[in-house]
Amino acid sequence: MIRFEQVAKRYPNGHVGLHELTFRVRRGEFLFITGHSGAGKSTLLRLLLAMERPTGGKLLLAGQDLARISNAQIPFLRRQIGVVFQNHQLLFDRSVFDNVALPLQILGLSKPEIDKRVRTALERVSLLDKVDAYPADISTGQQQRVGIARAVVHQPALLLADEPTGNLDPRLAAEIMGVFEDINRLGTTVLIASHDLALIARMRHRMLTLQRGRLIGDGEAA
Amino acid sequence: MSDAASKPNPVKHEPTPTAPMRKRSEQTGPDLKTLTRAWLESHRASLLDSLRRLAKQPIGSFFTCLVMAVALSLPMGLSLLLDNLERLGGSWQRAAQISLFLDLQAGEADSQQLRDEIAAMPDVAEVELISREQALDEFQQQSGLGDALRELPDNPLPAVILVTPKEVDKAALESLRLRLDELNAVELAQLDLVWVERLTAILKLGDHFVFGLSLLLVMALLLVIGNTIRLAIENRRTEIEVIKLVGGTDGYVRRPFLYMGAMYGLGAGLMAWGILAFGLDWLNSAVVRLAGLYGSDFALLGVPGADAASLVLAAVLLGYVGAWLAVARHLSELAPR
Repeated sequence: MIRFEQVAKRYPNGHVGLHELTFRVRRGEFLFITGHSGAGKSTLLRLLLAMERPTGGKLLLAGQDLARISNAQIPFLRRQIGVVFQNHQLLFDRSVFDNVALPLQILGLSKPEIDKRVRTALERVSLLDKVDAYPADISTGQQQRVGIARAVVHQPALLLADEPTGNLDPRLAAEIMGVFEDINRLGTTVLIASHDLALIARMRHRMLTLQRGRLIGDGEAA
Repeated sequence: MSDAASKPNPVKHEPTPTAPMRKRSEQTGPDLKTLTRAWLESHRASLLDSLRRLAKQPIGSFFTCLVMAVALSLPMGLSLLLDNLERLGGSWQRAAQISLFLDLQAGEADSQQLRDEIAAMPDVAEVELISREQALDEFQQQSGLGDALRELPDNPLPAVILVTPKEVDKAALESLRLRLDELNAVELAQLDLVWVERLTAILKLGDHFVFGLSLLLVMALLLVIGNTIRLAIENRRTEIEVIKLVGGTDGYVRRPFLYMGAMYGLGAGLMAWGILAFGLDWLNSAVVRLAGLYGSDFALLGVPGADAASLVLAAVLLGYVGAWLAVARHLSELAPR
């Protein structure tokens, strides 16, 4: 599913975000990326989302080389990826339904199909009763679950999450992680960047550890 | 593999997918029907979204349209006034007559035959024959030399044919004068072109002025619409970033702004039409009164239907182009962060 081969990211100001990273992620895996701030977690996710391009090595996502992908192809690549942000990135002038429906509207699905899929996604994150609410009217945990529903509503092959539990208390964080595991069980590859080692340890999934852009650990969280 | 991969604590559990990631149809890409429906649905949604956003700020939208409408109606109004002036010039065509002084030997029958021959010419609007006797009568009345003229043994005045051409264009008039001058029995063909030249020059100057003004105002319009769209883009920065992150193409992002630009153009075009129709109607009452004092029934024409349609269409196009330029300029700055 994902192949990093000697992938490097060097910025024009000389700062090195990633040092020749090599690893693979198989389809259906559940993977944590951890490390301190500045370790390169977000850079790695940005490379996978084609928000940035590697400056060295080869980065393959479902067979596509992200170093060579054209700008016109990027939106179609992103349609195969779901992304969850720490700050949710919800649109506050749209209802929960409309927020979740956004990726499906971009795909141009019919209204009944959108309605069906949005309700299924909201049911999966236990928010069906908030379908008509606005983000400002629901709690932070619920907002994060709306963000997850939006990320999975179009049934992406890969789900990326950048510090998805960063703003949540431990109980809510565990609940959100449970949602990610449910999604993973349905076949979606899940890749979560987080520095919450206690939470990661409880989940017992594969964990990549980054330090100053280098991969210093690859194994199951202990 | 990296150096880290060879370290202890290897991956113990790498699950295999329980189900395919994508359906077959999704792997091979959407079919034409789906793409067409998606495209249509996207346009419908963008149009409704633009209308909703314009309706959300009715006063702001109204004033943007009004500014554009004033800018549109200025050159269009001037152009319509010039058209009317040209029409007025056309009604003064009578003054652009070519006077044909006939040979003194030409008899009454010859003069009438010549008049009929000239009247049959395609570029002649009207012909009037003034016989030698009529000419003498008029001269006697106007000059006050009646008694002196009666003492003359013969009538010294020739018969005159006044030719009113269809065109007031200088070249056409000169060409017609030369042809008339070569006719038998015509001693002299005379044409006073000075006023025609002056009128033509004034009208041409007016055309140039309107063209220059139009160019300036088109640029001003593009700036107005560009600035409005730039503000709309700024207000929707987060939304655009999210749309791009979830797979929205540049076209998808651009579309509602293009509709918004076109909507502003449509509103401005209709308002400009209204301003011109009302303005010309209001001006017309004064023009009719003034023309009446000169014994003329001249009246201003309103905005012709074709001109009005062109105005609205041009306004929509300007709004669309202005929006396109603004979005093209700012879209690259809106890469997701």
